[in-house]
Amino acid sequence: MHFSVSLTISGLGIERSDRDLCRDLSFSVQAGEAIRILGENGAGKSSLLKVVAGVMSVQEGQIFFADQDVTLDRRLLQQTMIYIGHSTGLKERLSVAENIAFYSPHAPLDQVDQALRQLGLFHLQDVLVKSLSAGQARRVALARLWFTNASLWLLDEPFAALDASGVAMLEAHIQQHLSRGGMVLLTTHQAPCSLSVRELALVP
Amino acid sequence: MSWAWLHKFGSPKWFFYWSYAWARPLFVSGLLVLVVGLIWGLAFAPEDYQQGNSVRIIYLHVPAAMLAQSCYLALGIAGLVGLVWRIKTAAIFINAMAPIGAVMAFIALVTGAIWGKTAWGAWWVWDARLTSMLVLFLLYMGIIALQNSLEEVALADKSAAVISLVGLINLPIIKYSVVWWNTLHQGATFTLTDKPAMPASMWLPLLVAVIGFYVLVVGLVLWRMQSDILWRERRTSWVKQEVTKHGVY
Amino acid sequence: MTYTSFMRAQYAVLWRSKQDVLNALLFFVIVVTLFPLGIDPSPAFLTPAAGGIVWCATVLALLMAIEGVFKEDYRDGSMEQWVVSGLSLSLLVLIKVMLQWGAVVLPLLVMTPLLGQMLFLPNDDLGVLMLTLLLGTPSIFLMGALGAALTVSLKQGAMLVMLLILPFYVPVIIFATSGLQAAQAGLPYSGFLAMLLAMSLLSLVVSPFLSAIAIKASVN
Repeated sequence: MHFSVSLTISGLGIERSDRDLCRDLSFSVQAGEAIRILGENGAGKSSLLKVVAGVMSVQEGQIFFADQDVTLDRRLLQQTMIYIGHSTGLKERLSVAENIAFYSPHAPLDQVDQALRQLGLFHLQDVLVKSLSAGQARRVALARLWFTNASLWLLDEPFAALDASGVAMLEAHIQQHLSRGGMVLLTTHQAPCSLSVRELALVP
Repeated sequence: MSWAWLHKFGSPKWFFYWSYAWARPLFVSGLLVLVVGLIWGLAFAPEDYQQGNSVRIIYLHVPAAMLAQSCYLALGIAGLVGLVWRIKTAAIFINAMAPIGAVMAFIALVTGAIWGKTAWGAWWVWDARLTSMLVLFLLYMGIIALQNSLEEVALADKSAAVISLVGLINLPIIKYSVVWWNTLHQGATFTLTDKPAMPASMWLPLLVAVIGFYVLVVGLVLWRMQSDILWRERRTSWVKQEVTKHGVY
Repeated sequence: MTYTSFMRAQYAVLWRSKQDVLNALLFFVIVVTLFPLGIDPSPAFLTPAAGGIVWCATVLALLMAIEGVFKEDYRDGSMEQWVVSGLSLSLLVLIKVMLQWGAVVLPLLVMTPLLGQMLFLPNDDLGVLMLTLLLGTPSIFLMGALGAALTVSLKQGAMLVMLLILPFYVPVIIFATSGLQAAQAGLPYSGFLAMLLAMSLLSLVVSPFLSAIAIKASVN
């Protein structure tokens, strides 16, 4: 499948705890493009992702997706979007397989098996997430990206806690998504090695 | 229909300047009217043929009890307005109003207990009015506690609006369930405030005191709202100008 | 995430945290036990007071059970995922609360006949007590969930939830215990049950919707 939608943000202002994080921010993401959000600690990188995802509300400005204004009603966007935040949303008391069934209930079993093998999680399927290491848990959270038709991926520090092979695997997967016309918005501390991204700096 | 006026009302800056001229005159005149009403009621109004001088406490008790309920009504409406139209001023109003309402409920409780001691011979009777006033006081304390616990302003505002709105929906049910519970358990106690015929010499000062309380509270709320607006908007240029021009309030 | 997968996951989490449910039930038993110990163990006191005692204990135990119901979802980030799932947040809240209700109230109903015996409640009135519990507790749970949603971002919120929400329980407690007293006096009590049902329906309309607003404001 191939995506051909775009995301446009115009005049966005984000306010948090009585503090302006950004004013009048405008940019657009085209199909097949990845954007890396840059900024100092507390500059509002995560907040920007949350605002686009619809977790945080928009103070001013507009968000357009597929040529429609989704500023107030984000459902159209949310149906074709994946947001993985700093807290991954994994349920600690559920096993790896149960977490995947929770977030990706429609994923076919053979596809799940294949992805779990690739991610090195196959033998951990029935282990509770509580007892996984941080890197393994991150892989479980990211596994959603293997079973999704979402066109827009919003990833907050996706490489955190991943080892070198994990990073390479994720970069390759993101690259594949981009080649199908997908869009990615991500924050990360280290510049990705093999991934070509456009950089967007947040200045207070 | 145009809602522009509502959004203008929702701008804290606009509200500050609109209410600027009103707060202190209202406060002062309310205070004057209240003092007149109280002196009239406490010193010149006739005493009750059954209860003697102790009935004079109604000049404090009745207005406070009325205010405690009106303030809650206002809180609930502000909560609704704040949630539906996302108006900042509504949250500021709730902030300003909740402690005043709590104080009113407290005054009504204390004066009610004192009055109860002379009328019934006990400081506390599980009378419907006193009991529902106690619940009302607890509702106010809940709102205040929630506001104080949540440190993030936007979250505290929204939460206080939600709980005020729930209170508005529930308050009539609570009140009538308590009244009904009271009739079930006590039979007919004689009620003090529903006197069939209160002579004009008694209800006139009461009316003056009630009006004084209302005006005083409106002025006080506006005043509190103004200082809250100045604090919330402290980073804006208009507040900086305002403070450098007129000094700190 | 779909409604079904959400329900399955919540059910599994609930099953793995059965100790919490058990704690709430034990708390219920302890509160009931305190009344005969603290006041009077004679049937003359306990028989008329049984309904009130059971209801006070129920309200406290249920509030303890519901007070932290969203805390874990808030901490692990799944609450953010609820918000961005595109599903109705009110409906997700309702599913979660109703599962919790089933897990806590059904065992509590099973225990009630035992406690009824301990409180010298006549067998004829036991059915009425259980009916009031069945019809009234949804309201207790739904309003408690609203309190839990409002305080979800706080580390310690149990006391605050009590202060916020207990006043709203006044009508439910009054209608439930009055219904039982009416039944004990041989009077008709169906009106009280209808009032309890009405309270639960009102909470059903108000609470999930407002809880969703509170949750949305909290995940910010």
